[in-house]
Amino acid sequence: MKLTEDDLYRSSTQFKHWSFTPEQLASQRLKTNITASERVKAAVKRQRAQRLRQQDTASTSESERNGSGIENGGNTPIPMDKEVNCLTVAEEQKLVNTFCERAIDLGTFFKFPTEVIATGVQYLRRFYLYNSPMTYEPQTISRSAMFIANKTEGHHLTLEKYAAGLTKTSTEQVLAPEYLIVQALRFHFDVRHPFRGLKGGHLEMVEMAKGNAAILPTLGKSAKELQAEMQKLPRKAGGPPTNTTIKDLEKRVTEAYGHASHILKTAAILTDSYFLYTPSQTWLSAHLLADEPLTHFYISSKFPPPATSNPTYTKLLSKLRECAALLSSHRSFTSSSTSKEEKEAREKKEQAEVQQLIKKLRHCRDPDKMDLVKLNKAQKRDAAEGGQLEESKAKRRKLEREGYQKEADEFWGPELPKMENGAKAN
Amino acid sequence: MAYSPVLSPKPNPPATKPLPANPKTKALAILNASNSPATTAASTPGDGGLDLAEQMNDEVRRQFITGNRLGEGTYAIVYSGHYLSDPKSLVAIKKIKVNADYKDGIAMDAIREIKYLSELSHPNIIRLHAVFSTKDQNISLVLEHLPLGDLEQLWKTHTVSYGIADIKAWASMLAQAVWFCHENFILHRDIKGNNLLIAADGTVKLADFGLARSFADPGRPMTYNVITRFYRPPELLYGARYYGGGVDVWSMGVVIAELAIREFFLPSETDVGQLSAIYEVFGHPTEESWPGISKLEFYIPPDASSTATTNGVKVGKKGQPLGYWKARFPLLGEDGIDLVRGMLTLDPRKRLSARQVLEHRYWTNAPRPTKKEDLPKQGGGEKKMGEDLKRRGGEVDSGRADKVARKLDFSALKK
Repeated sequence: MKLTEDDLYRSSTQFKHWSFTPEQLASQRLKTNITASERVKAAVKRQRAQRLRQQDTASTSESERNGSGIENGGNTPIPMDKEVNCLTVAEEQKLVNTFCERAIDLGTFFKFPTEVIATGVQYLRRFYLYNSPMTYEPQTISRSAMFIANKTEGHHLTLEKYAAGLTKTSTEQVLAPEYLIVQALRFHFDVRHPFRGLKGGHLEMVEMAKGNAAILPTLGKSAKELQAEMQKLPRKAGGPPTNTTIKDLEKRVTEAYGHASHILKTAAILTDSYFLYTPSQTWLSAHLLADEPLTHFYISSKFPPPATSNPTYTKLLSKLRECAALLSSHRSFTSSSTSKEEKEAREKKEQAEVQQLIKKLRHCRDPDKMDLVKLNKAQKRDAAEGGQLEESKAKRRKLEREGYQKEADEFWGPELPKMENGAKAN
Repeated sequence: MAYSPVLSPKPNPPATKPLPANPKTKALAILNASNSPATTAASTPGDGGLDLAEQMNDEVRRQFITGNRLGEGTYAIVYSGHYLSDPKSLVAIKKIKVNADYKDGIAMDAIREIKYLSELSHPNIIRLHAVFSTKDQNISLVLEHLPLGDLEQLWKTHTVSYGIADIKAWASMLAQAVWFCHENFILHRDIKGNNLLIAADGTVKLADFGLARSFADPGRPMTYNVITRFYRPPELLYGARYYGGGVDVWSMGVVIAELAIREFFLPSETDVGQLSAIYEVFGHPTEESWPGISKLEFYIPPDASSTATTNGVKVGKKGQPLGYWKARFPLLGEDGIDLVRGMLTLDPRKRLSARQVLEHRYWTNAPRPTKKEDLPKQGGGEKKMGEDLKRRGGEVDSGRADKVARKLDFSALKK
């Protein structure tokens, strides 16, 4: 009748549907990229063909189109038969990561609770596992994802208030991709975070430092003995033993918590850690980065001594090091050895690359998915009569849809450069 | 038929195969190579140009066949259905209606229900087989088929007779469901007889997670406006914003008591009336019996409220003695009475936890709970399942749901 935390985690949708090996992740991303690229190329080709036909029939409108810019964005006309230069998997990843960072900024601006922000960012990452930024523009998606996260985390926020707080965003724009997103999430709303685990571990370490910890009988030590050992812990791994006062020890524990907590709120949600590791592995890894000797000490206290000769301990530690390597590889991670100049240069380089990518994205977006509000409306209108579509109705709809898309091609295409100009003017 | 029409790109114009641009990277090279027919999934008409996510959704949707409409409420329409692959494998399909009054997108009830049921897998909790969305942007939940009515209907149906061991069997299934929710850090917040549905084999299953939420972090306030009134614990009636599993344990105690007396245990017309009904049995709590109670927003101490009461209920009275329980609850037995009183302790900190409930001697002392296959059954039928599943969670004080609760109330008084 006793359930372990492992039992509980194994029954979660996060474990069952959103945990991957690095190879699985890479292959899914490649699949998504290929699908989206194919689609962009097909849609653009279709649009060009359409325009060619228009030129044949109504050459008068040509000047108008050229006047408002060219669908490929640049000022130099691009030969009509040139293949669209689509984003690579790596480029898509970089863009998604950038917009995840921006989603954190957005959440911070609105003062959303940590778990709302973290959930919203994970929704984005999960969404872009099955969708490409070329198909669905990340800024639009991230705003909606953040709104959905508020709902699923039970944080009350009205749509109206949220949209009002965003620049140039209507409530319609926030809601339009909602179904797309929940569908891509496969209706799994629950995201398991490492925050509570870290807090729990921290409170336990504080008790250890005070000499009051409840100790596993297999450890064969008293709370006071454990406390004494803890006071001797070296500052750095491999360093000489110290003689820390209890007060300083508590301070050390608290500092480690602060640092680990920061890593969890940044690097952990901005990397693939949620896809690759469990929440407890993640928080322990973050703690390992924050204070290695303390984390080793804490984990050893869970094994009968000597912990280091226990195969489970060794296995766990190597998993944690692997996760820690991932977390510390993120740009946001800084250790004491990172200089300010180094950091600034890193930031500048990143910004330049991102700008380049956003520019590239403008040239390879799926023209069919530009206006999600219109798409959403059309979809609802299409199903307005409700119920299941019978075959005859479906046929009629197909005709309507084709008519609609023809219209869309005519109107949306030329509008596109306007949008871009608008975006540049911001 | 399952394609979402607008999202489908038009078929490719019969153009010549494009000349591959200079592949910049490995991925692009693969991409260009993928112009071979085998991998041009995105542009072949076969998939209707659906996104990967849409394709996955359609795969799920196509697994099920929707049958007759069983019931329709303000919140959802419930259909019977079955797996395409096996017509004998029945399901209930709950299609969430788009609420025109709710401007913020997908309804919270649906989000909560999907979120929590997806995580919970337990024999005494209704199973969520799948979720899919339909073209008209309605979300459908494919739920376990539970055709034998619910616990409330069971005690109301006087042609069904049952005894001590049967109650113990039903109560035990309920207690395990609640325990499992709490082990998963989920509060149900709407436990009542007609949210406890009965499967064809007699298993009791907790349903309707439309008001569920996970345990809040310490210091984070929650709403007190949850749980259908008859089952609402005193701390919520007093406006507590920080609470835990105790709220569900109280509701569970009321449900078990109802099974034993075959009538509503604590019926009332209003929230104030609900408190009076509670005082009638358990006495009026004070700072002494429940430390900290005076800090709760709507708490009224016995003497101050004596003029404010209605229905001639005397306040400041003491709780009923054991003799009252023995006289009114013979079907619980002494152990059962002790357990139910433990669940219905006014001070939530002294109330039994879901785990303590399972550790109670009631379950292990004689008589043994009736085996599932031997439990008395009543034919609630699919219709009743439809009625039960279409309901919105019992947020008693807000509009429609309020009426649902009142209706129950009246029918009880008339009978």
